[in-house]
Amino acid sequence: MNPHPPARHPAWKIWSNPVFRRYCRSRLRPQGLGVSLLVTVLIAGFIVTMVRAVSLRSGLDPSDAARSVIIPLLFLQGVILFVFGTAQTAGGMTAERDEGVIDYQRLIPMSPLSKVLGYLFGLPVREYVMFLTTLPFTGWALWTGGVAWQVWLPLYSVVFTSTLTYHFTGLLTGTVAKNRRWAFLASIGLVFCLYTVIPQMAKFGLVFFKYLTITPVVEESLPGLLPKTVGAAVESIQKLAPTVKFFGLDFSETVFTVFSQGGLILTFVVMLCRKWRRGESHLLGKTWATGFFIWIQTLLLGNALPLIETGSLFPSRAFTRMVRVVQSRPPEPMEAVAMSGIYGLVTLVLIFILVAIVTPSTDSQLRGWRRVRKQGDTSLSFFSDAATGFWAAIVMALAGAGGWFLFTRGLVESRWFPGHEVPIGVFGLFAAVLLSAGVGYQALLEARGGRYVTLTAIFVGVVPVMIGAVMAVSENLAPVAVWLIGMSPLSLPVYASSSLLSLAELPEGLARAMPRAFRFWLFVAILTCCWLVKNLWTARRAMARKVLDGPAADR
Amino acid sequence: MTSIERMNAASFAANGSQPPAIDIRDLRVDYGNFVAVDDLTLSVPPGEVFGLVGPNGAGKTSTFRVLTTLMEPTYGEVILDGVDVLEDIESARRIIGYMPDLAPVPSDLKVWEFLDFHAAAYGLGTKAQRRERAAECLEEVALTDQRDKWCKELSRGQTQRVVLAKTLLHRPRVLILDEPASGLDPLARRDLRNALRRLAKTGATVFVSSHILSELAEMCTSLCVMNRGRLLASGTVDEVRQQMGSTERTLTATLLGRQEEAASWLCAQHAVHDLRIDLNQVIFGFKGTDEAQADLMEGMIRLGIRVRAFEEKRSSFEDILVEVAESNRRP
Repeated sequence: MNPHPPARHPAWKIWSNPVFRRYCRSRLRPQGLGVSLLVTVLIAGFIVTMVRAVSLRSGLDPSDAARSVIIPLLFLQGVILFVFGTAQTAGGMTAERDEGVIDYQRLIPMSPLSKVLGYLFGLPVREYVMFLTTLPFTGWALWTGGVAWQVWLPLYSVVFTSTLTYHFTGLLTGTVAKNRRWAFLASIGLVFCLYTVIPQMAKFGLVFFKYLTITPVVEESLPGLLPKTVGAAVESIQKLAPTVKFFGLDFSETVFTVFSQGGLILTFVVMLCRKWRRGESHLLGKTWATGFFIWIQTLLLGNALPLIETGSLFPSRAFTRMVRVVQSRPPEPMEAVAMSGIYGLVTLVLIFILVAIVTPSTDSQLRGWRRVRKQGDTSLSFFSDAATGFWAAIVMALAGAGGWFLFTRGLVESRWFPGHEVPIGVFGLFAAVLLSAGVGYQALLEARGGRYVTLTAIFVGVVPVMIGAVMAVSENLAPVAVWLIGMSPLSLPVYASSSLLSLAELPEGLARAMPRAFRFWLFVAILTCCWLVKNLWTARRAMARKVLDGPAADR
Repeated sequence: MTSIERMNAASFAANGSQPPAIDIRDLRVDYGNFVAVDDLTLSVPPGEVFGLVGPNGAGKTSTFRVLTTLMEPTYGEVILDGVDVLEDIESARRIIGYMPDLAPVPSDLKVWEFLDFHAAAYGLGTKAQRRERAAECLEEVALTDQRDKWCKELSRGQTQRVVLAKTLLHRPRVLILDEPASGLDPLARRDLRNALRRLAKTGATVFVSSHILSELAEMCTSLCVMNRGRLLASGTVDEVRQQMGSTERTLTATLLGRQEEAASWLCAQHAVHDLRIDLNQVIFGFKGTDEAQADLMEGMIRLGIRVRAFEEKRSSFEDILVEVAESNRRP
């Protein structure tokens, strides 16, 4: 018998986590670590000396010169933690699988959460130590520059949560990607999109996305970090856009950023734990995926709606605020139309992503039905991975249409556009757009698999848009281009907003073509969706019948 | 349940009332339309060194992956030492020791670090106790002198032994070894065989697959044969041979004269074929039970044929499996 009773590894005891300690051992070997620390100290030292010297020469007092050092150091720390750390996390995870040792780690009797946290803090442990070696320089700058703790503490709190978000992204990519090359490309691409491209959506009314990055907190902290004269100027600009609004509530940038990133981190944890528990599991269950979608809709609306009346949600108003152009100038009506269209498009893309996560493959469905047969049941458990993702797609599409409608109504019926209304019938059409595109996509994916969806996405989703864009260059062909582009399901949300809102001021040629193209293609999309759903149900019923009633060989 | 599975269950029942260490019921694993394991039912009593034999694609690795919680089956039940593997994964993982085929090792750790990590993960006491246990396991696989070497610097056979040491660390109740002898030299194979026997004596159950069948036959107390996801035979080597329908053997009777007369009598027996005479020996193929063979000898003696010696050569286990593998290739 084993003389030592097996110990449990509580997830919160990171220091005694065997996975963490294993990476401390391998990644903190004196030779490798020594070189990394030497380079880090050299760069940090160079930054401090150089920036301080230039600041002093340009006439700043020693306190302001010390403050000038903080932002360049923050940039260096960002590179270490966000870039190197994330690459190490994704690459390290994939290397585990490449070497084949990941099965050992699957078998060790630790909870999935303990394993996830062990990897999360273990894989980039050298980067954490490199970051720590830059802290004395930052500490000196904060002390000498007289920066209040109320300024730097929130900033470094968000640096930490952003680091976790980035590293979770890398860990998830490394866990899911099939091979090392794809893991590297996918992690770079995902991190770039999540933290560079997607936050740009904030400029088009989807303010929530910028809270996934460190930027809002850096902007909030800038007055306290920059030399006093520059800081005062930045502060006066910031007063025009005070705290984060969330429906009727006010939050500091730090609290809201931590809250937003926390939701994403929690979802990443759930995904990774599911994968550690069972390699074949979907990244998210149907309930969690639907809840996550509704949570994002709530955050998008909660951040956007309070900013409509002040006008700061509109891109043109945000711009005029910064350059101090006349404040009374109202936003353009087409801005509101475009923002509504982009909201619908982003919602549709989110539906596509989440539906892809919860839709079972043919293999998984077959296995599910065989299990059902063995257990003597006649139907799959509603929330199991093998169950259809159809209902989740329906709920997401309806919730998305609700969010899209509320956002659009908030924009159009605001004080900026008196006399305009969004009738409730628009909700029905928005729902038709999201249902036909989202549910049709789900039905195709479930019935025919990823390859069909990819080909359809290329030939129906992308190619018409590309050809239409080329044709639209010629003014005479613009109406034809509108008809052609309308074929792509991705264009439907933009067409819906442009066709259904009384605000829309399209050029004469397009004003006739776009509503017609929208109604025609929506009709086609609805018919196609119904046909795909019918096919899906026929296929599922046939599969169920084959497994449940067929001869033993077919089972 | 197939007849073989019934026999397996019956032989298990005959072994006493102790619950089985490995109890697989109606296990099925599918990859799309391909059935890798087809309603497998199998019981292994505690303390057995149980072999799993079969050609490529027989379903051995899929079975092992389900047993080790690395894969969820389409359906079925797997109980290891009283723990339901599909329901209580964490408890199951505490009692399993798994050594995969072509056992890999991490390139960034030394041998002792690799073992210490796993000892810590399994919660094997204090640092000193972990080191002591790691040293014991290294000694068990005769690698004590390699403890400070990098894992990546080990030879194929040494790597196998290090992974075996890792597998033994937490004194698993059920040891699952996929092709453990591949890459080992004869001395190391002998050590492995002895180590497994020692383990079995402590009550642990060893479930092992190998393509080196003679090795498996020597190593195992009993074994089973799988093909196309199904269990073909189970029991001791002789029982398996019998269950596989392999009663074929070559008999050589050395006679003191009257070879022609003996040959013509033997040719008349339905179980005899391919008969030839070589000087004073009559060599022939015989397909039948041991009783039928005894009757044959008795018949010759009754005829007054003087039999000086009677020798039998059974077809080897490899021959049987080659036959199974070849049957897979046939359309």
